[in-house]
Amino acid sequence: MTGDLLVIAQIAGRRCALSALDVKSVIELGTITPIPRTPAWIAGITALRSQALTVIDCRHAIGIAAGHDVGEWPTDHRAAVVADGGHSYALLVDGIEDITTAVGEAGQVPGGFGPDWSRVAIGMIETMVGPALLIDLPALLAGPESARHEIEAAA
Amino acid sequence: MDDLLADFIAETREMLEASGGELVAWEADPADRARLDTIFRFVHTVKGNCGFFDFPRLASLSHAAEDALADCRAGRREPDQQLVSAVLAVIDRIAQMIDVIEAGEDLASFGPDGADAALIAELDVSQETAGKPGLDGVKQGSNLPLHAPADALLAAGDDQAAPHRRSDPSPAGQRTIRLPVELLDRVMSGVSDMVLARNDLAHRLRQAGNQPTIDGPFERLTTILSDVRDAITRMRMQRIETLFSALPRLVRDLSAELGKQVMVDLDGGDVELDREMIETIRDPLTHIIRNAIDHGLEPPSARLANGKREIGLITIAARQSGNTISIVLSDDGRGLDEERIIAKAIATGLVTPAERAALPRDKILNLIFEPGFSTAETVSNVSGRGVGLDVVRQNLEKVGGSIKVASVPGHGTAFTLQIPLTLSIIAGLTVEVAGHRFAIPQSYVEEIVQGSARSLDLTRMGETALVTFRGNRVPCLMLGEVLGLDTDAMAAREPTLVMLRLANRELLALAVESIHNHGDLVVKPLAPAVMKSGLYAGSTLLDDGQPVLLLDVANIAGQHHLVSDARARVIGPSEAEAAGPTRAAARAMLFTDFAGRRAAVRLELVQRIETAPLSAIDHSAARPRMVIDGLILPLIGLPEAGPTPDRKNGRVRLLRLSDGACELLYAVREVEDAAELTEALHPVPEDPLVEAITLIGGAPVTLIDAHELFARHGEPPVAAQRPRCLLPDGEWARTILAPLVTGAGYEIVAEAEADKGAISILFEDVYEVAEALGRPLPDHVIRLRDQPDAPPGSATIYRYDREGLLAALAAAHRAASPTAIGEAA
Repeated sequence: MTGDLLVIAQIAGRRCALSALDVKSVIELGTITPIPRTPAWIAGITALRSQALTVIDCRHAIGIAAGHDVGEWPTDHRAAVVADGGHSYALLVDGIEDITTAVGEAGQVPGGFGPDWSRVAIGMIETMVGPALLIDLPALLAGPESARHEIEAAA
Repeated sequence: MDDLLADFIAETREMLEASGGELVAWEADPADRARLDTIFRFVHTVKGNCGFFDFPRLASLSHAAEDALADCRAGRREPDQQLVSAVLAVIDRIAQMIDVIEAGEDLASFGPDGADAALIAELDVSQETAGKPGLDGVKQGSNLPLHAPADALLAAGDDQAAPHRRSDPSPAGQRTIRLPVELLDRVMSGVSDMVLARNDLAHRLRQAGNQPTIDGPFERLTTILSDVRDAITRMRMQRIETLFSALPRLVRDLSAELGKQVMVDLDGGDVELDREMIETIRDPLTHIIRNAIDHGLEPPSARLANGKREIGLITIAARQSGNTISIVLSDDGRGLDEERIIAKAIATGLVTPAERAALPRDKILNLIFEPGFSTAETVSNVSGRGVGLDVVRQNLEKVGGSIKVASVPGHGTAFTLQIPLTLSIIAGLTVEVAGHRFAIPQSYVEEIVQGSARSLDLTRMGETALVTFRGNRVPCLMLGEVLGLDTDAMAAREPTLVMLRLANRELLALAVESIHNHGDLVVKPLAPAVMKSGLYAGSTLLDDGQPVLLLDVANIAGQHHLVSDARARVIGPSEAEAAGPTRAAARAMLFTDFAGRRAAVRLELVQRIETAPLSAIDHSAARPRMVIDGLILPLIGLPEAGPTPDRKNGRVRLLRLSDGACELLYAVREVEDAAELTEALHPVPEDPLVEAITLIGGAPVTLIDAHELFARHGEPPVAAQRPRCLLPDGEWARTILAPLVTGAGYEIVAEAEADKGAISILFEDVYEVAEALGRPLPDHVIRLRDQPDAPPGSATIYRYDREGLLAALAAAHRAASPTAIGEAA
């Protein structure tokens, strides 16, 4: 992990890291067309050239926005474009900060990150700009419902 | 190295698929030298390649098979049932190993070496036991000592030294290269980007005003771009052959397992279909074939007793018609048992005994597609694996297709599958509700109705809304409510209804606020989280680059229980038909004729409103006529004063009237609207052409007497007047020339069906060759040349000279059938 490039972004006031290999580009967001009858974490679709991107609001996707006022955090006009399972997504975050390198392996912290964060985090990673939470992209894109299903299935 | 390996895997796969059919064909006729060669080539190639890649097990397997086949080729051995089975087993094993290699696993994890040795031994053993009775369940016909004359093979054996170097005789035609689908998709989205950029540019150019120096090149760019787009779309197409080639093997294995003898006849393998679509229909097709062999075809003894051939026949034919492909799969088995189906349907509660009497046979047969229906009493190993025909229908409907069945007891069953040509580009309609835009596939759209809630008779029954459409109560969904959007109350009072015809022929009204436009939409898949809502089938970009969601009409209807209620579906239409006419008042179509008179004709008579160019009117006889849809129809209502009435840009509006048998066209100045005949009708005895005068909206209107009209002018349409035309071979003719010729009202016939009157279109070079060789030339021929400029004195037409081509067609047609024209005139 050491030396890997990371994209640092603020999500819900926390510093998070995405592997730069996952992030295809950072775009200026144009108009977002909302999709009725979809969960809140799907903000809509937007066009990137001839491609339609599904816009994911990371705050909602992690599941922490439920107890908070949505306006609590700013929203960057830029979004990180990622691809998973053949589909492209634009990630809506508080702010995209920097690109930096990792200076250690992703690891756990005593006490964990809390259930919502633990679901989407691989672990804490030390970077050139300080510690950040390394995000597990497929888990993030699965949305908060998936966690609830797992819990129900386990119960 | 990884690339090489990927190529090896892909190539082997492709050959595996192709050789499946060859093997079965070879088994049926072991004397067929060409098949033997193909299979030999396959194992030979595998052997060579895996030596290179160091897969010793794969090499030893293919080597053993190659040896056995080489013996056959040299005539040292006669191919028999056991050998074919053993070779098939080896090829299956090779396929499995390829899967393992592709997954990146070690071959050692794939069973012990001993299993391979057993297979190899099988190849050898079968040589000694060739005479002994065959495998269990395999009927006699296929294990009769195969009559490959060894000496005949010997005679051909001399080319064995370099077998694989001979030019390949079977895959004829074009050279091909293999490309990853991903690359194609990238090119395709690149072209879509270009189209968007072009649209943007077009927009800016319009703003900047007319600039001749730029407009010309820009037009050219547009044309080129649309050509490229078409070509890219065609790249995604694949011949349905790739699907068909696996079927003979499937049929062989199944028939052996079930102790039946089946022959399979494939037709139309050159029909092209989107790759994705081929994958989608693979399972449904396999399922129906399983059913046909398991339930449809009788055992050989029963077939003989019924005076049929011992060997059952399954025919699979693919045809393209317009934007859909139809695949007909028929067997000559016992046919569907109507009584058993109905008994089962009653037992499972799909229909009540009271309803059954009213059900026509075809509706009963189509009950087999209802969820939870399966007539097989004994569930065998082959069919009845928990997947019913309802799933087959569901899967087809998901991609906008449909399936129906027809059957004659004792003679067989035919399934007809209709599927759209492509998943990725569809014709669509854009609608708007509460500021959001959505697209609807055009194939569902039956009609668009606009009007106030009152005129549409929009009523709320509990949570459900109903509208009255042509005298029928049709369920109505408010798109805004379906999507949970806040809709404007004003707009809801004057909705626009999109009448959707679902795959089960049911009508559904979808209320939207407005309709934008329609056109070809490039549909992209949606992220799984969005698909989960079940409301959307994909996304697309409008010309202005705005993303729009494509509604999943079938699923939305299903979510509102408008399709899942099987009973309503079966009974519904007949009830609706019966209920329709009784409640509605008589209606009439209101129009202004060329005499300026406001008149009306009963709505039932009006088939359609046509708009046709004045030039289409034929004045050569005493009464004018016009050709519409290939029919010659009498035309009335034109002013006596001559053919220069008020008309919009040389076109005339026509009411196409029909009394069921006869049709005629009534030219009118203006079509107004349909209206109800609520006021009293006052007869007008002095004018026989007028049934009555009545009031509509407070103004007098003359109601035309249909009886007198048809008595004077009606005549059955001259049908099948479409002249026949024979096209040259080749892709260009099929994709570019054929639509033009069909559009001009000609019927395209195959060479075999062409009669003397047919017009032949030939390329100049073909014509010259035929002429030079003194071959018989068709009587009526149009010659096409490739260059725009004609050599002097040439009777040819440039292949893109549309006007010239149409004129030549018309001239040739007149020459070909002077009598037909004479009759019509």
